[in-house]
Amino acid sequence: MSAVPGRRRAVVVSGLGVVSPFGAGVKAFWTGLTAGATAIAPVTLVDTEGFRSRIAALVPAEAVAALPASRRRSRGDRMALAAAGEAVADAGLTPGERRAAALLVGAVGGGMLEAEDWYWEETRQGRPSPRVGALRSILPRSHADVLARRLGVHGPRETLVMACASGAAALALGADLVREGVVEVAVAGGVDAFTRICFMGFNALKLLDPAPCRPFDRGRRGMSLGEGAAFVVLEEAARCRARGGRVYAELAGAALTTDAHHPTAPHPDGDGMVRAMEGALAAAARPPAAVGYVNAHGTGTLQNDRIEARALARVFGEGRVLVSSSKSLVGHTMAAAGAVEAVATVLALEHGMLPPTATLVDLDPDVPFDCVAGAARTVSVEAALSNSFGFGGQNVSLVFAR
Amino acid sequence: MTDGAVALTGIGTVNALGAGGRTALASALASGRSGAGPLRAFDPGDLASRLAAEVDEASIADGLDADGARRLSRICRLAVAACRLAVADAGVARGPDLGVVVGSEHGDFRSSVGFVSGYLARGPGGLSPLTFPSTVMNTMAAAAAIDVDARAVTVTVNEATVAGELAVARGVALIRSGHARAVVAGGVDEIFEPVHRQLARLGALAPMRGRRPEGAPRAPGRDGPVPGEGATFVVLEDPVAARARDAPVLALVTLAAWGGVPAAPHAGGRTPGDAASPVARLLRGPAGAGVVKCYGAANGDPLLHDWEEALLRADLGAGAERLLPPVTLAAAFGQHGGLGALRVGAAALDAAGGVAPVLVHGLARSGCRTALVLDRP
Repeated sequence: MSAVPGRRRAVVVSGLGVVSPFGAGVKAFWTGLTAGATAIAPVTLVDTEGFRSRIAALVPAEAVAALPASRRRSRGDRMALAAAGEAVADAGLTPGERRAAALLVGAVGGGMLEAEDWYWEETRQGRPSPRVGALRSILPRSHADVLARRLGVHGPRETLVMACASGAAALALGADLVREGVVEVAVAGGVDAFTRICFMGFNALKLLDPAPCRPFDRGRRGMSLGEGAAFVVLEEAARCRARGGRVYAELAGAALTTDAHHPTAPHPDGDGMVRAMEGALAAAARPPAAVGYVNAHGTGTLQNDRIEARALARVFGEGRVLVSSSKSLVGHTMAAAGAVEAVATVLALEHGMLPPTATLVDLDPDVPFDCVAGAARTVSVEAALSNSFGFGGQNVSLVFAR
Repeated sequence: MTDGAVALTGIGTVNALGAGGRTALASALASGRSGAGPLRAFDPGDLASRLAAEVDEASIADGLDADGARRLSRICRLAVAACRLAVADAGVARGPDLGVVVGSEHGDFRSSVGFVSGYLARGPGGLSPLTFPSTVMNTMAAAAAIDVDARAVTVTVNEATVAGELAVARGVALIRSGHARAVVAGGVDEIFEPVHRQLARLGALAPMRGRRPEGAPRAPGRDGPVPGEGATFVVLEDPVAARARDAPVLALVTLAAWGGVPAAPHAGGRTPGDAASPVARLLRGPAGAGVVKCYGAANGDPLLHDWEEALLRADLGAGAERLLPPVTLAAAFGQHGGLGALRVGAAALDAAGGVAPVLVHGLARSGCRTALVLDRP
C-alpha cells in the first residue's frame, strides 16, 4: 500500500460496535461483561448428540432475529452488518468519509453454517438442494463484500484469515493504513458465526470443556465456543478531535508474530507470544510497567493458559499486571475474538473497570497473576494490552492507551 | 520501515506448465504453451465446464520431502513447495525477520469436505482431529511458515480473482510498516471436484451462460474463466537489507495499492469510477503515465474484461490505449489464487530484462481492485 512518506500518526478508536452472546450492541456487551454471568449455555442451533461438549455462547435467537439486516443473508453477514453499522454510526462518519475508508475484516467461517445446511441436505437426501444459493456467501470474504456494499465503504478492502487472531490482525493492519496516511479512516473488526464444522472440530481435538470454560483455573478442561462480531472505527487522532469525534482510546501499538512451530499447538516457551507482546509495547513506545491490564487470549485449555501465563511473566514479571479472560463470559468467538476482546479492553480503559474471569474459582499455581476472578473490578489503568493467538502459531498483541 | 520501493528477490512457482524458480517461470512464459486442457482430476461426466489447467503431482512431489508429502493436504503441499522454491531462489534468511502472506480464493475445501464427510458417514466417531486444522483457510500459511521457518508476521488474505496480487501488495505494505524485513508473498488454489462442480453450477466457469467451452480470454467468444491451480510466491525484501546481502534483485516494487470499486462487475449497473481510491490515485499520477506494459486480470469473464478496460481508460487517459488489452496469463495457467503472483513474477522478469515500469492490474468479481508497479532494479 502506498503510504505518504513521513506521515506516521497517532491512531484512535472513535467508534465501537458489537454483536455478542449478550445481545446486539455495545451497551448489552458491556453490561454483560461487567455483570459477570457467563453466556455459555446448551447449544440448540444444531444437533449436538454424541459430542463431548454440547455448550457454547451463542447470540440469543431473539437478538439475531432483531438484527437490522435481511434474514436472507447468512448469520455471519447479519452479525457483521449490525456490528460494523453500529461502529460507523457511533463514530458519526459521513457517507463521504465511509466511501474512502479502508475495510478490514477478520473472518474464518463465512457463511459456512448455511452452506452446511445445504451440504447436509444434499448428502443425506442424495439429490440437489434448493439451498445452493448459500454457497455464494460461504467464503470468509463474503462479509467484506456485503459490508462494502451495504455501508458504502470502498477504500482498501481485505479479508484476513488468521484463525483466532483474525480480528486482532484486522485492527493492527487497519491502524497501519491510518498511521501511514494511506487512508483517513479504517473500519476494522472480526466476525464468526457458530458452525458445525468448528464445533465438531474442537470436539474432535478434545479441546472443549463439557462445562463452561474456566480460564486459568486449576481444574480447567478446555474452551467453550462462542460467536459474534465486533468492529471499531480507527482514525488519526488530530483529525478525530478536529471533527468533534469521540475518542475512546488510542491504539498505540501492535505486533504480529508467528511461532513456525506446530499447526495447532503454541510454542512451548511462548516465544511467539513474547515477541508479539514486546513488539506491541515497543511500537507503542511504552515499557511493560505502563500497562495495568491484559485482556488475555485465555482460552481455558491446559496448554494455552499455562504457556500464555509463562509468556506474560517473561514480559511483565510475575504478578505485575492484572489479567482476565473475556472468554469465560462470551466463549471463544474465533475469528471475532480479537476484535471482541479489543472492544472489551477499550471499554475497560474508558470505564475504569476490568471485566472478570467469571468462571475462575481455583487459580492454577502455574498462573502467577491476579486474574480478576468472579466479579468485575473497579481499577483505572492508563494502558492495556489485548492478546490473540491463533491456530498455526499466529500471534497478535494490541496496546491501547487512554 | 521504509516508505519507498521494496525489492523483489526471488520467485517460486508450481503451476500447470512446471515448477521451479525464476528460470522455470521464464521458460514457461517463453514457451507460449498453455497448461489448460481436458480435466484430469475427475471425470466431468455431463458437466459443461470440462477444461482446467492442472498441476502434475510430480511437480509438487519434487519440491517436498516424503514427510511433507505424507503430512500435508494437497493445497498445503502446493503452497509449501512454491514457498520453498521462492526462498531458495532469493537466498533469503529464514527466522524472525521473515514473514509469509498467502492469498487464496477457495482455501482447503478438500479437507473441509473430508472432515464433515466423516461425520455424515459415522457420526462424531468419524471425525478426524488431524484433518480439522486444515479446514481453516490459514492452514497453507501456517504450513509454509513452519517449513521455511518464517517467524515474523503470517497473513492469509481471502479474495476473489485477485488473491495473489493482493497478497503481494499486502506483503509490500508489511515491509513498509516494519512488520518484517522480508516476506514470501503469493497465492495458491487447487482444482477440487465439488468446488469445480458448484462453480460451474453457479455459472462462474467457462462456458458462462451456456456457451461452448473452447473460448479463451480475449477471444471473441470470451466464454468465461477456465480454472487453474498451483502456487506462485515471490520474495519481497527491504531494499537496504537486500543490498546488504548482495541479493539477486529482479525488480523494485515501486507502488502497491488496493481498493474497492463501488460496484462489482456482476452486481449490475454501469461501470463506476473509483477516483478517490488509492489505486486510482496511484494510476492517475506520474507512475501511471510512465508504464510501458500492463498485465491484467482478464480471465475469460466478459464483464470483468469490459470493466477492467474501462477503469484503466478512466485512470490512464490516452496513455491507456498503448497498454490495452492488458497481457493476460489466465489462458496459459488458468484462473486461480496464485495467478496474480505469477503475473507479478512475470512483470519482475520483464523489469529485470529492461522492460519497465510494468503495471500488474487486478480486478475481482467482488469489486476488489489492485495495482502494483514494478521497475528495473
